[in-house]
Amino acid sequence: MNSVSPESGLVVAAVLFALGLGGVLARRNMLFVLMSIEIMLNAAALAMITAGARHHAADGQVMFMFILATAAAEVAVGLAIVLLIYRRRRTLDVDEAREMRG
Amino acid sequence: MTGEDVIILLPLVIVAAAAVAAMLAIAVRRSHAATAGIALTGLAAALAEVLVNLWLKKGYVGHLAVMDNQALFVIGLVLAANLVVGILSYGYLSRRRERAEEYYVLLLLAALGGMVLAISIHFATFFLGLEVLSVSLYGLVAYERGRLGVEASLKYLVLGGTASAFVFFGMGLVYFDRGSMIFFWVDWLYGQYGPGPLGLVAMVGCVMMFVGIGFKLAVVPFHLWTADVYQGAPAPVTALVATVSKGAVLALVLRMARGSPWAGYYFGDRAVYYSGGVCPSAPVFWILAAIAVASMFTGNLLALRQRNVKRLLAYSSISHLGYLLVAVLVSGAAGATAAGFYLVTYFAATLAAFGVVTALSGANGEAESLEDYRGLAWRRPALAALMTVAMLSLAGIPLTAGFVGKFYLLTAGAGAGLWALVIILVANSGIGLFYYLRVVWAMFERRATEEKELPRIGVATGVVLAGLGAAVVLIGVWPGPLAELVRAWMGGGW
Amino acid sequence: MDTQTAEKTTELWPLAVYAGLVAATVLAIVTISYLLGERHRERATGLPYESGIVPTGTARRPLPVNFYLVAALFVIFDVEAVFLLVWAGAFRQAGWAGYVEIVVFAGVMGAGLFYLWRVGALKVIGGRGEHESGDTDEQ
Repeated sequence: MNSVSPESGLVVAAVLFALGLGGVLARRNMLFVLMSIEIMLNAAALAMITAGARHHAADGQVMFMFILATAAAEVAVGLAIVLLIYRRRRTLDVDEAREMRG
Repeated sequence: MTGEDVIILLPLVIVAAAAVAAMLAIAVRRSHAATAGIALTGLAAALAEVLVNLWLKKGYVGHLAVMDNQALFVIGLVLAANLVVGILSYGYLSRRRERAEEYYVLLLLAALGGMVLAISIHFATFFLGLEVLSVSLYGLVAYERGRLGVEASLKYLVLGGTASAFVFFGMGLVYFDRGSMIFFWVDWLYGQYGPGPLGLVAMVGCVMMFVGIGFKLAVVPFHLWTADVYQGAPAPVTALVATVSKGAVLALVLRMARGSPWAGYYFGDRAVYYSGGVCPSAPVFWILAAIAVASMFTGNLLALRQRNVKRLLAYSSISHLGYLLVAVLVSGAAGATAAGFYLVTYFAATLAAFGVVTALSGANGEAESLEDYRGLAWRRPALAALMTVAMLSLAGIPLTAGFVGKFYLLTAGAGAGLWALVIILVANSGIGLFYYLRVVWAMFERRATEEKELPRIGVATGVVLAGLGAAVVLIGVWPGPLAELVRAWMGGGW
Repeated sequence: MDTQTAEKTTELWPLAVYAGLVAATVLAIVTISYLLGERHRERATGLPYESGIVPTGTARRPLPVNFYLVAALFVIFDVEAVFLLVWAGAFRQAGWAGYVEIVVFAGVMGAGLFYLWRVGALKVIGGRGEHESGDTDEQ
């Protein structure tokens, strides 16, 4: 089994991260914004695994599990907040969340 | 983890256990007083344990954490601030909501996150501390479910999640390049490879980490969330965001910037190479300096046109973090000492200011408009006096804590030859004077009509507020003992 | 290099034949039934087949909000299980210290579950989220 080179793994992670960042910046639906954040966190996790593979250490995989667990918690809190907003406004458009200005 | 590690980490263990105990207490029976009691007892016990640790037990916990003087100092600050916020919250919440119990679980978890950041010497603890702190703050900001709180929390969560992703990706890149996640080792490996420019991967990683950290510190250009979150969050939570969250992250930046003893040897002249541990390079130094200058000016200039006290304090905090970055740029023991002292004065004054906002916030809305403070000196002289002291301290007027803090920052900056930054800092203190004095001015204006009934202040809240006011004045008049303390604790070592 | 590609093509041709056979069979069945089959145009012909019962309402009904709550809680607890699996893999190296740590970890998770059960977050039907108008937070 021939392995993937670490650099190419890093490139994939960077592309994923850029996709997530693009989603956060461009998407108007709150659920998709949360999904994009999740994609960025997963890209970071992939970068960790790649780095660990490059140095033949398990540290990267340990970090991957930490990122996995905390990303789940973060997005669960995010979903709860989105639900609260949806109940009040009946919309998921982020542009509607703009009552504070200045 | 051995038994010895548990003893070293006892302050954290106590707070974590208190959080679980508070949660179980809620599950068994809902009682605001009981839950608050568990939380405040836990925080006080941990604070007492810090003092015991100071004499008895310090050391490394594997490669992940260190309990040294600086860590104990920052943990003490975090716990004290959480204790103050907890006591203020009790009066605030009992005026407002029936379901106030979970608030204290989140408060304890926020304290835990801040403490983990304070002891962190490894990307893993950095990461965990940041996430525990952030996620509990998202919950706290949305706790008052009025529409502003939820909206503020969503903004905080989206931008905070993005910032976290930036930090973690940056960590991954630095780890990819250097093969270590321990701050000291990353630093030492740079030394081994010589003081040349960073590799591209590590450089990008460093910049990404600073983007995320900059967001947490709310420095320009990552400050856009600050005013909205400050305004939307419940007043005691705003105090927590302003103090614990920023203080703990700043302590971590100091630790990352300090680096190993080798840093000075390899990087010699700071003007050429920023001898900052994890990310040593001249570009990083200039980027941080630019961020500091931009934060000072942007924060102060935007605060000038605010008529909402919470938003005003938000912009003021942006400029204060700009001042603190000057100490980070000085780096080394001198920078850490100045930053530590300034953090104490900033914590005391900010908590006092938000304490007044909390005490004036009743069941129907918060006292956030400048109008709410008009004529306060004639209706509540004690609160107006405390607010005046807090504002004067934040402005840096002599005989308050803020003045001494700024003095130490300027001395450290001048000692390191950062003259441009020192001059900009002084100029910005002048700009800040305008809007701080406007709040004071409003409080001393006479007002004919009095429509709003002001809430009563409990004994505990009164004692805490009086203590904060006394601390601000006492540090300003007689800074000697605290300066010695900070020098001994933040100067490094055991 | 050449031998390798040749080997691969020899390996692949049965697959191509199989795919062709499948496509031909499907095409034959559809064509024959089109040519020979009966034609109906009754009232319920175009409706989805629901065991002979005429369907009522739309499939896009909103689920109770507690369903999403339970789903989110499941995801969190599910992901935490990964730490248990890792501990099981390193059972012997971790020793008694590891055992104590994992017991504490599981205990905290259990305390969280107990809390969720007591506050009624696990009730999918009849929980707090059911009567949305009962919320006190409208200002």
